[in-house]
Amino acid sequence: MKKYAMVVDSSVCIDCKGCMVSCKVQNNVPRGYWRNWIKQTTPDFSLGKLTRTHFQPGGCMQCDVPTCVQACPSGATFKDQETGIVHVNESLCIGCGKCVRACPYGARFRHPEKRVPDKCDFCFSAGRLAQGIPPACVDTCPTKARVFGDLNDPDSEVSRLLRDNHTVRVTSANIDTQPNIFYLAATEPANWPGDVEFPQSFSVMASLVNPLVKVAVGLSALGVAGMWAKQAFAPDSEDDEQGPEASHPEPTVSKQD
Amino acid sequence: MIHRHDKLSIFIHWFNAFCWIALLLTGLGLIKNEQLNPLGAWWPNLMRSLFGGGENLMVVHQYLGLIWAGVFVLYVLLRPKETWLFLKEVFSVSPSRDMTWFMKMNLKMTLGKKGLKRFGMTPDMPPQGFYNFGQKLFAQATVLGGIAIVITGVIMFLSPLMLNNPDLAAWSRTIHYLVVGLVTAGMLVHIYMAAISKEEKPAFQSMFTGTVPEHYAKHHHPLWYEEVAGGEKKVEG
Ligand code: SF4
Ligand code: SF4
Repeated sequence: MKKYAMVVDSSVCIDCKGCMVSCKVQNNVPRGYWRNWIKQTTPDFSLGKLTRTHFQPGGCMQCDVPTCVQACPSGATFKDQETGIVHVNESLCIGCGKCVRACPYGARFRHPEKRVPDKCDFCFSAGRLAQGIPPACVDTCPTKARVFGDLNDPDSEVSRLLRDNHTVRVTSANIDTQPNIFYLAATEPANWPGDVEFPQSFSVMASLVNPLVKVAVGLSALGVAGMWAKQAFAPDSEDDEQGPEASHPEPTVSKQD
Repeated sequence: MIHRHDKLSIFIHWFNAFCWIALLLTGLGLIKNEQLNPLGAWWPNLMRSLFGGGENLMVVHQYLGLIWAGVFVLYVLLRPKETWLFLKEVFSVSPSRDMTWFMKMNLKMTLGKKGLKRFGMTPDMPPQGFYNFGQKLFAQATVLGGIAIVITGVIMFLSPLMLNNPDLAAWSRTIHYLVVGLVTAGMLVHIYMAAISKEEKPAFQSMFTGTVPEHYAKHHHPLWYEEVAGGEKKVEG
């Protein structure tokens, strides 16, 4: 069992956007959409010579508490226990977009042609990991700002970096998603993840429809069980209708209304 | 014996029953989410391993659903008159007669005739037509519910293929689940009444033979009995 993770040293990122470009090429990401990104601080020019901008590379955080998975009704979005990667199974997906909204990082987008969500999977589906090659963004980065590896392997570089350094996790305000992209020392800007937002259609299903259906089916089952018990243990003696001349009075056929 | 159902109705009934159960079981397997699993996670896991993966399960559910809906559409197109008569029968409710019937029936099923007497009521029921009010209610639920289920199902099916509206698919999912749940609650009662309770044995048998004994028709569906038997008794086999 592996647990793939990324450690990012944002202090060496030079905003060349090589990772974004190589990811697009490797994964056929459609025009106008990105699986990974570089966020940047707004420079304060009043500082004169000391003016600086901090660049922060990112992508899907492969969270340990993936709110996208929590929001998906069908299990189409799932966390692979073998690798720790959060995947989208396109043939199970109905394109409801709940996962897209439930991700506080904006790491998912709706693929315009496939109409299902798309996001970083550490180049798993591109076949790179199976060949032992790191994700395209990691391979391309000229300053080695992105480091990729297996957290469960104590000898991997990510494990070593995490052991030897103080790292930062970027989490959303309302739910700690426990991301698996770690930042060495500083991360700026740090406050960009939004709140985790479960769409109404999901909360209604989880908190209203699901209990309602259970109660309705449960009550109906109870009622049926009650009727069965009554029939089995306390039947009405006159209810025997086997003979054509049952003891029922001839019904009145006159309309009553 | 009195003729009650023709072969096509009997076929449609059992076709519907088979599809419903199969769609219910596969559909429950498609809900895989910690907060939603109505039966717990074991059911979707079991179904997925039985079908060799969620993808296959999904395909079976979708295409069975489309076949199910398609057969009904075909029936409506080929037999508009029968469809119309059925709908008219099922949706025409006489408030006084049917409500009284419904209340008394519930009391009788749970408390027995003695219970009815305790509430100061006589054990005989207001006369019912081809369907009694309980059957009508369930038929209404399956017709309206079926339409809602098919529409929301088709939306979800088409969503990744051509629709560009995630919210539509999201709400369809919620409504699909709600309606299926409510009809399932009704279905438990339907199955009990037809297959387990003694009273309706002849009705159950008529879903195979197409006929009911005269005394049963006279007692349970007197208005209908009047109609078909009127003056001349229609006696078959
Ligand atoms: S970053 Fe977003 S898409 Fe990625 S695992 Fe976390 S919640 Fe899901
Ligand atoms: S759009 Fe997202 S939440 Fe909806 S079914 Fe697909 S993967 Fe699941």
